[in-house]
Order: sequence, then structure tokens, then C-alpha cells
Amino acid sequence: MIEQVREHVRKLLTDGQISAFLGLRNQDGNIAPHIFEKPEDLDEGFTLGDVEGRPPARYPLAKLLMTIVSADPDKKFGILVRGCDERALYELVRWNQLPGAAYRFVKVGFACPQELADEHECRKPFPDECVAGEKAQPVMNASVKEIDAKALPERLEYWSRVFDRCVKCYGCRDICPVCFCNVCTLEENALIRTGDLPPENPIFHLTRAAHMAGRCIDCNLCTEVCPAEIPLRTLYKKVAEIVQEDFGYVTGEPGDAKSPLNFLGPDPGHTSAHD
Amino acid sequence: MRKLLAFSGVDPERLLLKWVSSAEGPRFAQVVTEFTEKIRILGPSPLADSRTAKQPTAGMASEAS
Repeated sequence: MIEQVREHVRKLLTDGQISAFLGLRNQDGNIAPHIFEKPEDLDEGFTLGDVEGRPPARYPLAKLLMTIVSADPDKKFGILVRGCDERALYELVRWNQLPGAAYRFVKVGFACPQELADEHECRKPFPDECVAGEKAQPVMNASVKEIDAKALPERLEYWSRVFDRCVKCYGCRDICPVCFCNVCTLEENALIRTGDLPPENPIFHLTRAAHMAGRCIDCNLCTEVCPAEIPLRTLYKKVAEIVQEDFGYVTGEPGDAKSPLNFLGPDPGHTSAHD
Repeated sequence: MRKLLAFSGVDPERLLLKWVSSAEGPRFAQVVTEFTEKIRILGPSPLADSRTAKQPTAGMASEAS
């Protein structure tokens, strides 16, 4: 699979269709995002994130692309995408975070294996167009139903217990591919007391959950990085379910539809220095 | 928001959102009075105890045991 992706990227770079490629690089066993600028760079450490015996390393590449694209406005970039990365890209374009999206980046997609889809309860473990990989079966949402089956006091008891493990590292926010605000409510003392540990609960986590409405693209990175193993994603899945029920909106889909929670804002494609 | 509260175990009846114009003073008073009465009937929030009674380290200690 990796060879197909590598050769595809090599062709894009050689033909000059892209100036650089945002992917992952394995350096001495550590995998990190990397910008490949020359075709020959691809021979050194190019990886899809897989390391033997470990789940594949994932990063919010879409969010990184946001920074890279704005720092280098003349270039066109390639980007490595899994199903989740692609959903993030669609959503970032919708929220006007990737100006000129259509001609600024080229997606190089690959499908995730079934084990990974199962592990992350992934609703679409492949991008729309795949260069490599067999499309795995989508996995349906089970974690939300478990909570829904509980009575009200049990739910509170459950969430209080998991929220109180929070060490407020902001990892969930920092890794989130669709968290891009310059000013964050979670750091506003007037709204959520700062300096408390665990943070003011459930306010802290419910605030973040509310902000995930119409945004969360269900990539599971937050839950994966959480050092306290808080099942954040279950909470955000519920939020997504509510948004779908009440507004008929599903995140991470292609098309021009606006998110119900930014319908007052400018149309996609607009950019502002004050966003 | 009420659905999210219900999911996290808080009675959604404890949240009310109403639009009241600044020209509708009596209506505002009525809405607030009614809601206050409703909350009084519902009693103290289960979250109130946890916030006042709990020590900052309680969550961590129970986790370690």
C-alpha cells in the first residue's frame, strides 16, 4: 500500500502539480508530520504512520495544512488523508479556514484497515478517492447507546467520575483538527474558573462539547491523546447526533451546505484578518 | 443544550431558554418567577453537592485506589 502512495506522491511532485507534500515521516522510529519538498525526499522515512506492533500514528494533518497554506500563499500542497483527515478538510473549508481550498491542495487518500476502523469506531474509514488500500466496513456508533441506556443519576455519576480525572492539559483541544479559534472559551476565567484541578466540572467538558456541535468530525484523536482516558468522543458523538436530529446536518461531508452554527457568517471562501 | 445535559445526567428541566424583549418587563418577571418556582420544586441540583463538598484531590485519590 505504501509503495502505491509513495509513487503517486512522487509523480505529483515530479510533474510539478504540487510544490510540497504534507505527510508523515519516520525518523529513528519516531513518526511526525513532515513536509516533503523533493521527490527524492520520499525515499527517506516516508510512512503512512504504521509501526509494527503499535496502532498507526495519526496527526491532525488538516489543521497543520491550515497553518502551512497561510504561511506560504503561493504554493500548492499535497496532503496525506485518511477518511477522518478528509472530513476535517471539508469542515475547515466550510468554516473558511482554508482560503482558496480548491486550488491550494491535492488530497492523496488511502483506506484504513478494518482493525483500525473497529478500534476507532470509524463511520467512514476511507476518503472519497483512494490511491491505495481496501475500503473497510464503516463501524456503527455503540458507545452513545451505552450511555443512553443508563438512568439520569447513573449518567451523572458516570460522567462526574470520568471528568474528575481531567488534568486540564488541553490536549483534546490542541489535537483537535477543527479547533481553530484564536480565543478559547476554555481559558476565559469569567466563563470557566481557571486554575482549578480538576477543572470546574461538568462545565469545562460540556462547554467544549457544545463547541463541537456541527464541527466534530469524529476522528477520535481527542480520546486517543487524553492522558486520563476520558471518553470525550462519546460525548461529541452525542452532540453530533443532536445536531443531526435538530438541524439535519452531518459534519465532514463535501458540498456547499453551511454548518447550522455558522450560517450567519460569510460564505465559504471568504477570509478575514479578524476571524 | 438540554439534550446534552440529559446525556450527561443533568435534568434538562433545569435549563430554560426564552426570548424576552427589553420592552416586555412584566413578561420577563413572569418567566423568571415561574422558572424559579419550578427549580424550587425540583430541589437542589445534584451538582451543587459535588462542587461544594468535594476536595480538589478527591477524584485523583479514588482513581489511585
